[in-house]
Amino acid sequence: MARTVGIDLGTTNSLVACIDPQTGAPKCIPGPSGSTLCPSVVSLDPDGSIIVGEPARRRLLTQPERTIYSVKRLMGRGVADIQDELKLFPFRIDSTSKNVIRVRLGDKFFTPPEISAFILRELKNWAEAYFGESVGRAVITVPAYFNDAQRQATKDAGKLAGLEVLRLVNEPTAAALAYGLHEKQRGHVAVYDFGGGTFDISILKLISSDEGDIYQVLSTNGDTHLGGDDIDNLLQAFVHEKILQQHRVDFSPHSELAQELRKELIAIKHQLSESEAATLRFPLPNDAVYVQEFERGAFEALIRPIVDRTMGPVRQALADAKLKPGEIEEVVLVGGATRTPLIRRTVQEYFDRRPHTELNPDEVVALGAAVQANILDRGVSNMLLLDVTPLSLGIETYGGAVSKVIPRNSTIPASAQEMYTTGVDNQTGIDIHVLQGERELAKDCRSLARFTLKVPPAPAGLPRIEVKFLIDANGILQVGAKDTRTGEQRTIEVQPSYGISDTEIERMLEESIEYAEQDFAERQAIEARTEAETILAATQKALGTPQAAILRAEERAAIDAAVAALKESVGGSDYKLIRKRIDELNNATMHLAELVMNSAVSTALQGRKLAEV
Amino acid sequence: MSAPSTAKPKQCDYFDLFEIPRKLWIEMPALEKKFLELSWKLHPDKFVNASPEEQEHSLKHSSELNDAYRVLRDPVARVEYLLALEGTRIEGEHKQQAPPELLEEVFELNESLDELREARASGSDLASLKAHLESAEKNFQEKLGEVDARLQETARQWDASIDASASDTDRKGIMARLNELLNRRSYIRNLVTNVQKELL
Repeated sequence: MARTVGIDLGTTNSLVACIDPQTGAPKCIPGPSGSTLCPSVVSLDPDGSIIVGEPARRRLLTQPERTIYSVKRLMGRGVADIQDELKLFPFRIDSTSKNVIRVRLGDKFFTPPEISAFILRELKNWAEAYFGESVGRAVITVPAYFNDAQRQATKDAGKLAGLEVLRLVNEPTAAALAYGLHEKQRGHVAVYDFGGGTFDISILKLISSDEGDIYQVLSTNGDTHLGGDDIDNLLQAFVHEKILQQHRVDFSPHSELAQELRKELIAIKHQLSESEAATLRFPLPNDAVYVQEFERGAFEALIRPIVDRTMGPVRQALADAKLKPGEIEEVVLVGGATRTPLIRRTVQEYFDRRPHTELNPDEVVALGAAVQANILDRGVSNMLLLDVTPLSLGIETYGGAVSKVIPRNSTIPASAQEMYTTGVDNQTGIDIHVLQGERELAKDCRSLARFTLKVPPAPAGLPRIEVKFLIDANGILQVGAKDTRTGEQRTIEVQPSYGISDTEIERMLEESIEYAEQDFAERQAIEARTEAETILAATQKALGTPQAAILRAEERAAIDAAVAALKESVGGSDYKLIRKRIDELNNATMHLAELVMNSAVSTALQGRKLAEV
Repeated sequence: MSAPSTAKPKQCDYFDLFEIPRKLWIEMPALEKKFLELSWKLHPDKFVNASPEEQEHSLKHSSELNDAYRVLRDPVARVEYLLALEGTRIEGEHKQQAPPELLEEVFELNESLDELREARASGSDLASLKAHLESAEKNFQEKLGEVDARLQETARQWDASIDASASDTDRKGIMARLNELLNRRSYIRNLVTNVQKELL
């Protein structure tokens, strides 16, 4: 059976993890370079192939036009929502597209879920190479504060990557799961997750019951557009300004030079987490070198507004959980940005508790995803995760007001039923507008979907249509309608306001084959064939040596039979058969190999003095 | 936009789901224990490898369980739910209307709110107006506390009427009082929220 993995699809880096069968503990799977971090960067090679991860990240400097990073910031969003983002990030957007965002890489356009799918596919390949088996299902993590559209986009990406998405799990919840196993905690836990592009705070209650451990999320809050990226942007803007003042050099924030500077500044940022000062030396095109000494104190003063922005959501989440900072027993830090000493200090002071940092903050979310994947896949029954919906679900009523039907922080799955009727005789449709958010007016909330309920013609007020809004365990909305007079049930085609329609997904699935690497079995067959060719050539060569004459007749016959059998299997695509025949030929040629080896050794020894041996 | 009609659709009975009597005082630790116990059985995570029918069943019943727990846990939502279940919740017409004995204070409050908005628009001193509104807010917060105390008192009467198998007339009277208190509560609650927004 195909394997199941946990995936952290991050803004900056993505990871894939599984449960180690030997230890039973979760572990991250390394890629070809040996690192477990796959930079969330995708590049379209001029030859049309897709490059993902570290090799793509290097192309940010050499081929920025064909390369994209931080695509997570665009997931589930409309062209109109990302205008601010476009000022800060070098996204090249198809200007003719009205709703669905299309990003240009070289001469081609891709939607954000398609680009995310390339990253997921790369991680799938890492895992398949590690297991030597195919991977079919995955748990993928999302920021807790992701809305319906962002979650749907992530699920679409999984589908495009050829993965069955078992569950979308909130990142801080996944981290708590990884820590819970590690620390055997009880009581109230706050998870402060400051990633590359998103910030989440979740308050959980860890409960031991007769059946097992329960991880109950009490509340969650956050900002899906606040992260380490913002610190980089701030540093970059600061230095751009200085360079302009001191050296009169002005360069586009999207140029190669800007990318180079950004890379240097990220290194400076990392250095300042370890030491009190760091120096930037940046060569400019006019042969001058810009030198800037950064001290930790000044750096902290610069980034303090960003850190302060995280504290509003922290206070709100605590208030929603009806808890005070002192009632939190454990605090967990997640996300690379929490290595920043200012963030650690701020969190520690607020909760008056030393936060947990034992697990690698880059890996902890993927580890938790692997734990949940294992729970779901194998039906492990001594653990249960109860998560919440981060945003209230509402329906537009008269005057553009919003009537909340499912409040934020409701445990999911959650549902609400509303009864609708007509206002005029023979009205054939009722318009329904579903929103997500905390504001009172529809225009200030996020539009999730608009649809028209079809009603058979009847006098006003007579039809009775019951509409059921259901948020599933992934935090994704489903809508169903029932005519209570006729009992007729209907599922409503909800066209997400900024999402991609099902027909578009189908088209993309077809197109994705163009970029997809061959499936697992095919890749294995190619590798096995290459190996077969090597061993066949070696056997042929050995049979040509004088030592081959020493072989007994039945030995020679066995080799010939094994060679013929292997040659035959290479024509097919059954990689397991090819491997089996390779092993058989290896066994048949064991004696021959020994003879050739001994002769080679004695030849090598000839002419050398014994003392040299 | 068409508004939802006032008639609420039929749902499963939340009190039955938790196997508790239709009373307004609920022992919270026992409710939580039952919630967790049922969650173990019904949560979709337990049905990942099950048939589509079983998955559908889990989704329906676990969402109902979560809805029921959310409502029963909250003392005010619990009263509203009980009245809806008994078919005696009447909201709407009283929502926009101030309870008679509050009329004068509400009028005064709205005047102060207008003054504050005007002062803000013309950039004049806000401090004294804010102080005035803060004391008004405190006053209405106290009234909210009074309504909550009366709600609790009436809820106890309801529970007693169940224990004593009281007559329909008695029970209807209690429900009418609960209904009136809920409407008053939501009116004052809205006022307080409005004032708080202006004071931010």
